[in-house]
Amino acid sequence: MLRTTLAGLRLHKSRYVTTVLAILLGVMFVSGTMVFADTLKANYEESVMGSATTVDAIAEPAEPEPGEDGEYVALEPLTEEQLADIRALPEVAEADGLVRGQAVLLDADGRAFGFTPPSAVSVEGASRFDAAQGELPSADDEIALATSTAEQSGFGVGDTVTVLDPDQERREFTVTGLVNFGVDPEYSMTGAVVFAPDTIEEMTGATGYAEIDAIAAEGFTDEQAADAVGDVLGASAEVMTGEEYGLEMAEGVGAETEMFRIALLLFAFIAMFVAGIVIYNTFAILIAQRQRELALLRCVGAKRSQVFRSVLLESVVVGLVASALGVLAGVGIGFAGASFAAPAMGADGGVPVIITPVAILVGLGVGTIVTVFSAMIPALRATRVAPLAALRTSATASGIEKGTGWIRVVFGLLTFAVSGAMVALTQVSGPTQAGPIVVTAAALVAFVGVVVLGPLLVRGIVRLVGAPLRRVGVASMLAVDNSVRSPRRAATAMIALTVGATLITGYSVVSASTESTLTRMLDEQFPVDYQINPQFAMEEPAGTGDASDAEAAAEDAPADGTAEGAETAEGSAEPGAEPSTAPAEGTGGAPEEGADAEGGTTADAGTPEFGFVPEEVRRDLADEPTIAGVFGQRSGSLVTEDGGYMSLVAYTNAEMGTDLTVDTVEGDLSDVGPGRIALAEGVDDSLSVGDTYTLSSEDADLDLEVAAIVEASVGAWSGYVHADDLATLFPEATQDEALLIRGERDADPAELREAVYASVEDDPTLQVMSVAEIKEQFSDMMDIAFYTIAAMLGLAIIIAVFGISNTMALSVLERTRESAMLRALGLARGQLRRMLSVEAVLLCLIGAGIGIVLGVVFGWAAADSVLPGMVFSLPAGQIAVFIAVAVLAGLLASILPGRRAAGTSITGALASE
Amino acid sequence: MTASSVQPVPSATAPPVVVARGLTKTYDTGGSQVHALAGVDVDFHRGAFTAIMGPSGSGKSTLMHCLAGLDVPTSGTVHLGRTQITGLRDSELTLLRRDRIGFIFQSFNLLPMLTAEQNILLPSQIAKRRIDQQRFDHIIDVVGLRDRLDHLPTKLSGGQQQRVAVARALLNAPEVVYADEPTGNLDSRSGAEVLAFLRDSAKDLDQTIVMVTHDPVAASYADRVVFLRDGRLVDEVTDPNPELVSARLLKLEA
Repeated sequence: MLRTTLAGLRLHKSRYVTTVLAILLGVMFVSGTMVFADTLKANYEESVMGSATTVDAIAEPAEPEPGEDGEYVALEPLTEEQLADIRALPEVAEADGLVRGQAVLLDADGRAFGFTPPSAVSVEGASRFDAAQGELPSADDEIALATSTAEQSGFGVGDTVTVLDPDQERREFTVTGLVNFGVDPEYSMTGAVVFAPDTIEEMTGATGYAEIDAIAAEGFTDEQAADAVGDVLGASAEVMTGEEYGLEMAEGVGAETEMFRIALLLFAFIAMFVAGIVIYNTFAILIAQRQRELALLRCVGAKRSQVFRSVLLESVVVGLVASALGVLAGVGIGFAGASFAAPAMGADGGVPVIITPVAILVGLGVGTIVTVFSAMIPALRATRVAPLAALRTSATASGIEKGTGWIRVVFGLLTFAVSGAMVALTQVSGPTQAGPIVVTAAALVAFVGVVVLGPLLVRGIVRLVGAPLRRVGVASMLAVDNSVRSPRRAATAMIALTVGATLITGYSVVSASTESTLTRMLDEQFPVDYQINPQFAMEEPAGTGDASDAEAAAEDAPADGTAEGAETAEGSAEPGAEPSTAPAEGTGGAPEEGADAEGGTTADAGTPEFGFVPEEVRRDLADEPTIAGVFGQRSGSLVTEDGGYMSLVAYTNAEMGTDLTVDTVEGDLSDVGPGRIALAEGVDDSLSVGDTYTLSSEDADLDLEVAAIVEASVGAWSGYVHADDLATLFPEATQDEALLIRGERDADPAELREAVYASVEDDPTLQVMSVAEIKEQFSDMMDIAFYTIAAMLGLAIIIAVFGISNTMALSVLERTRESAMLRALGLARGQLRRMLSVEAVLLCLIGAGIGIVLGVVFGWAAADSVLPGMVFSLPAGQIAVFIAVAVLAGLLASILPGRRAAGTSITGALASE
Repeated sequence: MTASSVQPVPSATAPPVVVARGLTKTYDTGGSQVHALAGVDVDFHRGAFTAIMGPSGSGKSTLMHCLAGLDVPTSGTVHLGRTQITGLRDSELTLLRRDRIGFIFQSFNLLPMLTAEQNILLPSQIAKRRIDQQRFDHIIDVVGLRDRLDHLPTKLSGGQQQRVAVARALLNAPEVVYADEPTGNLDSRSGAEVLAFLRDSAKDLDQTIVMVTHDPVAASYADRVVFLRDGRLVDEVTDPNPELVSARLLKLEA
């Protein structure tokens, strides 16, 4: 039996080419991901470990116990005396402290660099950091930059840069070197500058040490040195050996790589799933075509189990060979990824490509298992071939599949009903975190329905679309008829494409709707052109924890979005963590709410110096002729009795209801004034206009009359109050934390821009944001995410196209005689090819069409289930592109089968059985 | 008797529709050469129903394929009317087959997804030709398919399927119809029906028909039978009957 199987495989190997390609691509994705992620991780680890292990003991101030009410207590830096004690230890040969503060670095335009000021440190002697290029600064007019900061700001060694000292005075420094801080979150987010040890205090006001690094004396191990340092410092510090420290940090970055790996594997999973469908269809068709061969085997005495094993064995061989090739290709892809993409992701690229046995085994295993599993049902079907079938003539080719059973129809309709009910549920329940999950589940249920009803759908749609096509010409007429000859086969082939089309359309709908929703908020609710914010100067280390979170979010944004598919709406709903878009929220609504509560509490609990926009700036701006309005924003937040989080805002110099509009459920926004509040829906549903609402902050209790109830929307404030009331509740909120600027309607944009920038000339730390730029940035971000996802899903789509091509090729093989007859009757080669093209395009269009419909429906449902007040947006342009791609895919898929069909000699085909 | 001694039928007064001269077809099969046709001269006249007979491997199918422009002879010429079809390019041959030749095959004659009527009209559609409704009605009535027109081939008996194929071949009034073992898959009664219909249409519609067969009974329906052996035309019989054809065939195979 084994010999027969292998001989058969060798004979028919051309039929397996596309199947092998499908498996190969899927496995390539899996193995490539593993290799890439392993290499990236090793790279990160090395860069972290590398810097940490240059010292033997690292001491950092201990995390203080949180004060009462969870109030933030600042870290107590390590002292000069403690350093002296450490230096005196016999176990320690050398020890030095690292002073860390923040310093405002001005960029080439003279504006403050970064959304938050970079860390400023002094590095000397025993330190885990050293100059990667040039020298560490030693004089008081010298500075070194973090390599990442240098890259972003465009400064290099030898340049002169300006830094503001604590009194906001400009001071010039010469860049003497670059220091690679690696992936250490402390520095990678905000960037960093290095001052000479004698300059640091002067420039940042920071005293004491944020870190003391020590090197063990000869004869002592790093553990002994770390223990000794720990004994000296006691509870005031946490002490680790360099290796422990490195491992801990590596774990942190490792977790990020793992997220990345999981996201990529998710797409690999989709690709493998589609490959599975393709394999199933190929085997099903091959078994159907080989009925006589199988029957002959049964005739000469093969048992059912032997036939079954023979088919499975075939799939094992195909799976193994294809997987092995896929692993090879995957290693290549992983290698390419590691050499090209890794440097962009902050890895040094110093580590050779890591190929773990796991990467190889997982690739081989997944590929083979998926193949064998997919061939299972066809193999079972093969056992049902009766020996008698060997004697029948024309066992295949002539038949047309029977109709769809009513059980199938009922079951299929039932899945649609269930799916519809689930979507309806999310609509009724309103926006929740669980919404996208329910919608995803509903989409899966509907997909099962599509699979079950596939043949029926194919037939129905072909009937509809085919009617006009039939009139075009005989080639398309025949194509229309051919496409419904084996609806089951056609359905399976097109469903492979539906998977990719659904996902990509769904994502594009979510993405477009999110963008249009946020844009509408920006445009309609508070139409301003510019916003001025103070630089976000959070004190250490409240800033660090937050910063690293924000960084993770920022870096992961595209990858994360990709991973979550339909859930991306969530990702986009929390740009609060995103430095580039955070200011946008001031305009539309509050930052940190809901998903963002974490960031909010950190900001609250800590004492971040939000800073204020000086009153002169506002006055200057108000005098500008090009500027129609300058509105100040003040806000505060408090925790209500029942533990709810409330964010309150007041706009100075703004007329509520005119300058700022929010859709109201009840009442009028313009009634907001002293003693009167507009509450967001959902804060307290028992209240209505005219009722009294009591707000209690740490400083005051205030009874306010409810003037209006406004619709809740993404990141909206919980309440709008008058500035006086806000000042009562939050005595420190007497200055504007941001200025919102609206230009005159007919103002020249360039003049407006100039006026805005002129007003902040004296305050380099004030950040000017153009709303148009914010929108553009946001739109760019969404685009990047979209293209990333499209690329990731592209492979699944390519595999599906292989499947369609394969189905066509096998059908052509089946219809060899028929094609010859048509040619004899006068069908030209071109017409024969066109016939196959139309058939393939039709299949692709149906597959993509169903996917697009599913994608639009569930994309809408997913977006609506998380975004309150969602503005649905149909990405017509993108959908048109998908359709064009489907047509192109169909044409491509029909090239090879068409060539084969047209190339066959008529007499040869007529003569053969 | 040699091939060159066989002259065109003198009794036929109409001009020949198909004329083949010096047809040879040689296949290379790994070193040795096989002469499927070794110099065939033959004419087919308008309105004549001719059967080509011969033992297996005599080259009768190859001859038909070359005459019909499906296959290219190694040497020699074939004329269809005034057109020399040998030497035409594939696209020209396609047009020729489409417009001037009809085909009936042994099996796989019909497209399974088209109804009987659609199958009959297929060549006209391929050629974008207007359908002669009168001729269509006449042929349908003669083959007796009126009540089967909207049936798919799987719902038709073998004889009915073959009658559909005949109707399809005749609808356009091609200059010549080639039939390759048209009754090979049929029981004798259905076969007789189809053959009678072919014979009648040759007479009534003045249709030239060339049929390849190895069945003496089928051949006896023709006006003339030509015999082929080892790629040469070796004998011919006019107004044949089954016994005569069988006897000649036996003599050939001996």
